[in-house]
Amino acid sequence: MSFTHLHVSTAFSAHYGVSWPEELAQAAKADGATALACTDRDGLYGTIKHLRACMAEGLDAIVGVDLAVFDDDGDHRTQVAGRVVVLARGHNNGAGYRALCRLVSDAHARTSGKAGGAVPVAVTRAELASRTLDPLTLKPVLTVLIGPDSDVGRAMGGRRYLRPRTLFKAWLDAMPAGTVVTEIVTQLSTPGMPLSTAHAVRMLRLAEEHHVPAILTNAVRYCGADGAPTADVLDSARTLKSLPELAAEPILQPTGQGWLKTGEQMLRLGKEVIAASGFGTADLTQLMAQTEALADRCRMDPHTDMGWKQPVVPEASVLGISQHPHTELAQRCEAGITRRFPGIAGSQEAEMKNRLEHELGIISNLGFSAYFLTVAEVSRMIQDMGVRAAARGSGASSLVNYLIDVSQVNPLQHDLIFERFLSRDRATLPDIDIDVESAERHNVYHRIFKRFGSERVTLMSMQNGYRARGAVRDAGMALGMDDGEVGEIAKQLWRFSARKFREALQEKPELRQFAGRVEQRDTDGNQQLDLLVDLTERLDRLPRHISMHPCGVILGDATLLDRTPVQPSGLGLPMSQFDKHDMDPMGMLKLDVLGVRMQSAMAFAVREIIRIHPSKTQVVAAGSHPVGPDGAGPDYIAADGAIDLNAVPLDDEATFELIRSTHTLGCFQIESPGQRELIGKMAPREFNDLIIDISLFRPGPMKSDMVRPFLEHRHGFAPEVYPHPDLKPVLAETHGVTVFHEQILKTFNVMTHCGLAKADEFRRALGNEAKEPLVEAFFRKAARERNYTPEVVDKVWGTLKAFGSFGFCKAHGAAFAVPTYQSAWLKAHHPEAFLAGLWEHDPGMYPKRLLVAEARRLGIPILPLDINRSGAQYRVERVDAGKDAGKLGIRLSLNGIYGLSATELKRIVAGQPFDSLADLRARSRVSKPTIKRLAQLGAFDFLHREAGGTANRADLVHHLQQMQGKGTRKGIEVLEGQLALPLGDVELQNIKPGLPAPTLVENVRAELDLIAMDVSSHLMDSHRPMLDRLGVTTADKLLSLRNGTEVLVAGVRIATQTPPMRGGKRVVFISIDDGTGCIDSVFFHEAQENAGLLLFGTRLLLIRGTTRRTGPRGISLSASMAWDLGQPESLPFPDPNRPGTDVEHPLDGISRTLAITGFSG
Amino acid sequence: MGLFSESVDVACSADGQPESVLWSGRSYSVCAESVRWYERRQWWAEESRVPLGSGPGMVDHEIWRIQVVPVPPAGKSTPVPMEPLTLDLTRHAASGRWRLLRIHDALRLNDTSGPKTA
Repeated sequence: MSFTHLHVSTAFSAHYGVSWPEELAQAAKADGATALACTDRDGLYGTIKHLRACMAEGLDAIVGVDLAVFDDDGDHRTQVAGRVVVLARGHNNGAGYRALCRLVSDAHARTSGKAGGAVPVAVTRAELASRTLDPLTLKPVLTVLIGPDSDVGRAMGGRRYLRPRTLFKAWLDAMPAGTVVTEIVTQLSTPGMPLSTAHAVRMLRLAEEHHVPAILTNAVRYCGADGAPTADVLDSARTLKSLPELAAEPILQPTGQGWLKTGEQMLRLGKEVIAASGFGTADLTQLMAQTEALADRCRMDPHTDMGWKQPVVPEASVLGISQHPHTELAQRCEAGITRRFPGIAGSQEAEMKNRLEHELGIISNLGFSAYFLTVAEVSRMIQDMGVRAAARGSGASSLVNYLIDVSQVNPLQHDLIFERFLSRDRATLPDIDIDVESAERHNVYHRIFKRFGSERVTLMSMQNGYRARGAVRDAGMALGMDDGEVGEIAKQLWRFSARKFREALQEKPELRQFAGRVEQRDTDGNQQLDLLVDLTERLDRLPRHISMHPCGVILGDATLLDRTPVQPSGLGLPMSQFDKHDMDPMGMLKLDVLGVRMQSAMAFAVREIIRIHPSKTQVVAAGSHPVGPDGAGPDYIAADGAIDLNAVPLDDEATFELIRSTHTLGCFQIESPGQRELIGKMAPREFNDLIIDISLFRPGPMKSDMVRPFLEHRHGFAPEVYPHPDLKPVLAETHGVTVFHEQILKTFNVMTHCGLAKADEFRRALGNEAKEPLVEAFFRKAARERNYTPEVVDKVWGTLKAFGSFGFCKAHGAAFAVPTYQSAWLKAHHPEAFLAGLWEHDPGMYPKRLLVAEARRLGIPILPLDINRSGAQYRVERVDAGKDAGKLGIRLSLNGIYGLSATELKRIVAGQPFDSLADLRARSRVSKPTIKRLAQLGAFDFLHREAGGTANRADLVHHLQQMQGKGTRKGIEVLEGQLALPLGDVELQNIKPGLPAPTLVENVRAELDLIAMDVSSHLMDSHRPMLDRLGVTTADKLLSLRNGTEVLVAGVRIATQTPPMRGGKRVVFISIDDGTGCIDSVFFHEAQENAGLLLFGTRLLLIRGTTRRTGPRGISLSASMAWDLGQPESLPFPDPNRPGTDVEHPLDGISRTLAITGFSG
Repeated sequence: MGLFSESVDVACSADGQPESVLWSGRSYSVCAESVRWYERRQWWAEESRVPLGSGPGMVDHEIWRIQVVPVPPAGKSTPVPMEPLTLDLTRHAASGRWRLLRIHDALRLNDTSGPKTA
């Protein structure tokens, strides 16, 4: 006989369930079950994965939730009286599922959406009762299981007779008839304890007395008995207490019996309960039959109940359309032609019209016209807000998207294939991603909610699973280990999956020390570290919590909230409990509205350019833009100086010259050490080169050695080779190397005439164990029929197989290349404004302090903090005096100074200018420590000089320090209309001089400490004498060295990367900055062994290595050894009799490692 | 709580119920229905490894409370007159081996000090 488990938590019950829906469904199927429930705690987090897993196994899915219920007698806002399981009934056109979704949303409605909120996730009994009946038919659509964790079940202890009966009666009185069953569970704990057979017996008797059906479950938390220790650790993580503490309380599960037991084992448990109750065989039969009867009522129809794969888009009326959506879409495309293709004619026009007809035909067939109109509506709305927006991803393959202004890339120009985006054979909603300015993202979300109505919109969520560091921390806490010790271990775990912890101990040099301690367990009897490794592995990937997805917005019609439960996000907008994997199965339209900092930085730069050069003539002069034959300047600059970046032609020579120079720090996508190396080798000449560059710099091509042959062919070192002349048109742009998905599609099509839609299906099947052989068989047969020789077929198939699964979609590359080009264009023509934008929005991969070095290299003056001239943002400013007079400089921002609050900042900016410290105190009410910090940063130097004081910055800081000790004096009340006398600053004037002025090192230290940047001088400068004695080579000298020269270099860490590499061996890239430039070094296996802990643990590095020339303008270092500059005694001085002398260094005592080095290792 | 760690041999029926026990060279037969439950272990203190796939028996151990009477030695027809003994046995999940945990004798059971534990 088969048994159906009706109470099962999956791993998506965060910090509770252990097993994945797929494992559970497979186990149920293997035992002969025909259905399986998923009842995650507090939500439907695993429901869709469960549905999919059940469909894959041929099981009927049952869906429900395990919910807390508020105590009717207690404080409704906070007190919970136990938990119940609620199951949705099926085969009622979704009435059960709808009620379940709404109930779960009810349970979250009062919570704050923030961790540790005072209000628990729970429903009142009244809410529960009201949801159990379908509002239309008044038939029961939910079933409530009153089990061992309910208030009734919890009252079973201590042999109380009346209490459980009173509580149970309350349930029966409150709930509509036919909606309550009792849930009998025994996990065979000690007789008389919770989850013991004795308790199950009492529950069964209660059901019998009240003629309520009883059903049997095992309250499952894990698939097999092996999951029990993991469940213990999750209990510890949930309650934030160690296992020994929990065991004392006792809060842990009483036994380890909560697994998905077989039907036979469940029958035996039923027998045991029935026998202990003194009931007979008929009662056992009834218990098991009632369980199956409830299961049958709750079997879901994936299509009619849950809307499996039925796309739902907003109603036409909401989009403001009165005609058929497809007619509307066709009309809008037609209107777009004159805008996008002015003056197009002849064969070009025919080609374009053909393509449009082709796309519209497919869209119409799939019924997706309303979807495109929805995306266009969102896109238009964003642009109307004045926010930069650009489509990315395969959406750029569509001419329709280009014509309705969703995408900025002309697919005809770049030869992009529509079928890569959408085809007749793909009935799922395609992804269109829209990049917007990161700073405007939340405003855009709010506007979408307002535009479509909160019943049609919700944010998508994402599951955050355990990774190595979090897992080791929680495993350590469970074992009751010392926080500091666990923290030290966690710091060394760097980018590998927790499941491979033990393997990593063997391999990774930075873990060697820890591995040694684990080994020692036998001698000192310490087994904890060994357990720690095992428990860390157990936690790997298990979901910890959901959070707002960084970009997903779900759009639907008025029934959206019947189809997904929602809960508050920290943002104040509701968030679906479903993640991206659930969108397609549930037919949900997800729009990725991605905040891109670079878009914000570029928008900022454009605004700065207008501010400094408020007319077209000035902008043209400042940016050396072409004046043109009529002297009017280019069209993309408006009369007021506003630059339309999207209209800038993509062939600007100065821009490509900048890119080829590899000084691309700050440019989108091409600033990483690896990319700088690649562009140095590739030397891009045109926009298509950028697309290729971005597409090549991916894990797949890098791993499979596509880059080297490409470069050889490109530079003509080796002749281009084509497997067959027919493929030349397909592969010519990349010199015979297959780089793009589009080329794979065309290759299939050329050699088999399968059509591009089919070709995309084939491409998707590549790398899929089951489907790939079928594709191969078809390809070989069809290609042979078309008379390609076996050699050609072999060779081409080899390429398809190798590159197919990870090649890059050219449309993605093209969409990415636009901001890449635009950012490089800005850097080439308006570097001051661009750098200010970078500083303001910090889009890059490097710590901000590196921009200081870049500004120095570009000869752009950095203007110090000044209480009257610095604002809340970085600003471009014309230097009015000194050696840089007349130049454009960048004024540092007051924002981001350590300890300066947002309100203080607001008041300072509102009150500027200030004529004295007293004025500042009175009007901006800035705290004393903040004033002192501003003084340390030199923000009062100008005021001080103006006041005519003879003291220096150290005296001022000392003076303020003393003031800090004294009691608070009320700010001077400034009466309305009363003007302060222009006396100058008496306070500053009268500060006693006496202290020596702060040294450069002290100033730099203050800057590092307070703004994480070294502005006054580079932080390495004070090391210079020691480095000279070591014989260190500086970055600016490297390029003149011969390939293979052994050198010592030194600097502060600015980037640490472990990209995937060919052959799977880990390679560590560490970049350092020494004040003259960046040095990129690569640590291969042996060097990693030599460097050990220093790899990830050091800020200042001395590195020995040999130079590797990477291109005409590129050189990097292959490292052999590294030292910590902070430990002079360990350094390899040539003269050992003169050990390093301790010099004062700005980094001493500064703990802001992440902000300074970009790495928190 | 100190526990016996005395090994015993137990013979079970087809459905897993203990039927007879061999303890210190003497045979006992089970004379009443047995009770079985599971008790939690402090595995984090008792184990040095809990890798994935360790299997059952990590978090709890199986306890059987059985009542036994001695089986008369071969050749003697009359049983030794004796009250039944109540024993708590535990079965190790992985090896299937049995150990004697506690002996509850009649005298002790009647007073309030609970089962004898060592």
